[in-house]
Amino acid sequence: MKRIIPREEYCTDCRLCEVYCSFSHTQEIDLVLAYRNGLLKNGRVRVSSRGPVSFAVQCRHCQEAPCVLACLAGAMGRERESGRVTHDPSRCVGCWTCILVCPYGAVRRSEDGSGVVSKCDLCPDLAVPACVEHCPNGALVVVDLEGDG
Amino acid sequence: MGHYRYAIIGNSAAAIHACEAIREVDPNGSVAVFSEERYRCYSRPLISYLLAGKIGAAGMYLRRPDFYRFLEIDFFPGGKVISVDPAKKALKLSSGRIVYWDRLLLSTGFEPFIPSVEGLSSTKYFTFTNWDDAKKLMRVARGPFRALVMGAGLIGMKAAEALHARGGRVVVVEKAERILPAALDPVASSMVAERCRAEGLDLITGCTVVQVRQDSGTGGVAVLEDGSEVEFDLLVVAAGVKPRSELAVEAGIPCLGGAVRVDLHQRTAVPDVFAAGDVSAALDKVIGGPQVNALWPIAALQGRFAGLNMAGRVCSYPGGIPMNSVEFFGLPVLSAGLVNPPDGRYRVLSRHYEDGSYRRLVLDGDRLVGMMVVGAVEGAGIFTSLIREGVSVRGFARSLTEADFGYAHMSRSLRKRRFEAELLRGKQVLGFRKERI
Repeated sequence: MKRIIPREEYCTDCRLCEVYCSFSHTQEIDLVLAYRNGLLKNGRVRVSSRGPVSFAVQCRHCQEAPCVLACLAGAMGRERESGRVTHDPSRCVGCWTCILVCPYGAVRRSEDGSGVVSKCDLCPDLAVPACVEHCPNGALVVVDLEGDG
Repeated sequence: MGHYRYAIIGNSAAAIHACEAIREVDPNGSVAVFSEERYRCYSRPLISYLLAGKIGAAGMYLRRPDFYRFLEIDFFPGGKVISVDPAKKALKLSSGRIVYWDRLLLSTGFEPFIPSVEGLSSTKYFTFTNWDDAKKLMRVARGPFRALVMGAGLIGMKAAEALHARGGRVVVVEKAERILPAALDPVASSMVAERCRAEGLDLITGCTVVQVRQDSGTGGVAVLEDGSEVEFDLLVVAAGVKPRSELAVEAGIPCLGGAVRVDLHQRTAVPDVFAAGDVSAALDKVIGGPQVNALWPIAALQGRFAGLNMAGRVCSYPGGIPMNSVEFFGLPVLSAGLVNPPDGRYRVLSRHYEDGSYRRLVLDGDRLVGMMVVGAVEGAGIFTSLIREGVSVRGFARSLTEADFGYAHMSRSLRKRRFEAELLRGKQVLGFRKERI
């Protein structure tokens, strides 16, 4: 199964991961148009930074995911085959219990006004997740973990 | 007659997670789930969303319709268990049917606590803990109506908010000096109260209902401590909850303060009988001893550990901490651990932010033991995990109140431990931009 790993030694706080995460989750095909139309929000990855230290944080897709266990609505789930922790916005009621229990702070209230949460989905339709693909410095990598998933 | 490897009494958070955990370990052992309710597993906390009209009935269910069949579990809706016999390893249903089991899980949850108030027993009142309660309220709470809610705890306040959303004029009476006294600190409590009052809820604190009188139908009058009277069309009693431990008590299973006492494997003192969820008193990491925390995430976790242990994978419950996530009229409040410290040995950091948010952190020496955030709740789970894992915050305690507090504020070794353990286990790097691994 795939996991995204941040490497803080190579992160320069450029936040292109945030930009391309937002962009890849829009229907827009042009980045500048997406920006002008106000669609570049709701990024599912966030750079945590302080002084010279920065690195990107997104859902870790935990094996024993606290959000899946705690979800009041059955909206958080875990795919057996891929090990992905999935979020079903149609079931989500916006109770924020997942935000309360996520040890990485990787679940956020959606910024599109839908009243649900959003988090990394590992870009299931892409060979390499958008944040990793567009990191100019190799500060995000995808690894394949064996033995789980 | 029937015999099951595993029998589970109850069908909510603890029971469902126990079922799933059992199947992880034991794909074949027979499992029976007995529920006195008619519904397949649904989410009790969502009844306030249902009552408020935010979700429909279909949104109440936690799992897909074929959940039991998929896991090959025999589900008995309406299967009310009236007694348990640990010596014979049997249970009796209200129909008279006897079912034998090898391992039993008591996950019977809680029931509302009804205070003794003059006239209450002869008055039609509502409680608000399960789907049927919500349905009864939905039948009555129509058109213009006046509702009186006794108790401003989480259940009372969520009921009040939902009844308000249905167009009711709602009065809440709370005996403590402020609303949500257990879950929130005084600052957050007043922030929520202010929001609720601005939306039109009438909150009366520091006052109790001393008498109620029925007029007609579900309507009546409540007399308050100060002599004032509140007329209502419907009355909701939300004065607290208590564990439904009557089956355990009658079976001679040791209890503690009304809750079933369990060890770290969720075992009761009686062999092969386990308990989990709101009926059980399991390890609370904040107080360091057994405690009932009638909270959904804790019930789910206990259920999971009960299931694993029942099926033979011996593992210890890591302990729970009280935690809550609630939102009133769009104002979210998240809390975990010890929010209101009992004495002066704790250090409290609190801060208001420009966007109206508020954060409160409670420290015991170098350990974070409590947190509460109002408004901007993103990242609150990092605090929860620091509390749960007892991580030392030495070196970054002062950063905890920074608006963008995150892993970058922690020591390098601490975040490396969390983020790169996976990298070390990684076998194959699949994708990255530059050759830098």
